Amino acid sequence: MILDLIPAAEPSQGYLWSFFDVSTTTTKFLILSSLLFVIGVGGVLARRNIIVIFMSIELILNAVNINFIAFTRHWQTLGRINEHTGELFAIFVITVAAAEAAIGLGIVVSLYRNRETVAVDEIDLLKW
Amino acid sequence: MVGGRWSVVGAVPITVHRSPTTDHRPLTTDMILTGPEAWFFWLLALTALMGGLFTVLSRSAVHSAACLMITLIATAGLFLLLHAEFVMGVQVLVYVGGVVVLFLFVIMLVNVREEPLSQARLFSRQWGFAIACTVLLAFAFWLAIRLSDPYQNLRPREELATVSESVAYNPQGATPVSKNSENVGWALYTQAALPFEIASVLLLVAILGSVLLARTQRQEQLAEHEEERS
Repeated sequence: MILDLIPAAEPSQGYLWSFFDVSTTTTKFLILSSLLFVIGVGGVLARRNIIVIFMSIELILNAVNINFIAFTRHWQTLGRINEHTGELFAIFVITVAAAEAAIGLGIVVSLYRNRETVAVDEIDLLKW
Repeated sequence: MVGGRWSVVGAVPITVHRSPTTDHRPLTTDMILTGPEAWFFWLLALTALMGGLFTVLSRSAVHSAACLMITLIATAGLFLLLHAEFVMGVQVLVYVGGVVVLFLFVIMLVNVREEPLSQARLFSRQWGFAIACTVLLAFAFWLAIRLSDPYQNLRPREELATVSESVAYNPQGATPVSKNSENVGWALYTQAALPFEIASVLLLVAILGSVLLARTQRQEQLAEHEEERS
């Protein structure tokens, strides 16, 4: 492979540069998943549309799944070849996310029937 | 060669099977993808991040759903890169084929009153506070990752060895069907049998709950009439 010939960055070049290193370690998967998690939290906190808030929750759960799979692979690389705990966790997270989406969207539909809105700052009967 | 070594995480003896052709390379203490795998990581990671960002930022909810789908597919690619084929399949089937389609259906049902998109406020009034919380969380994550692996930059480059050499070496040759699915299925029915059953009960409850929630007023009245008559 031609891409194999591209050298990895020197580790002595510092922390910031090592993030742009062409090789990929577990830490980079963690950085990616934390960035996705932060984007999702920002969406949950700042958006008005309740459907987009649900989508941001899915983003958060997805980021957690990346962590689970990356750590499973990490342990497999360290020699525990039959390690699948993280994948099991990811499967259950996906199951719970599907159930949560079904229930949440059912709530959204019945809410829209009653209040004619999907903006969360107009649904504040329980707030004050 | 079977080598024993102590990892940075704790007292875990490492046993790694290695290909005889690359035995001259020393063992690694980390999962490292190099070459094309690393380039695919960057491609998929950037796609996932962009998709997530536009999920949160785009004006129309349909665009948000499309961007969410891009993110989920890119994540499935990352799972494939991490040799988790079964979870990749589940991700594509359940998330992309199920949850995103459900989102699109609900958007179709809900957006009856067409409001002028350019005038509607996108963010809630507390958006400043929300962004402050988000930035604080990002700082906490940065600190955690920064502190968690202080030896990352100190590791000499000669210790790099690719994952495929360190683990996936199979002296009998490659298996036709993914070994990962078989292993995960085995673990699912032995290690996690009770959570599996609980998940099935959870799904049943979710089905019943969503049917109950989606009933209209008229359907409820009809059901009550039926009860009175019988």
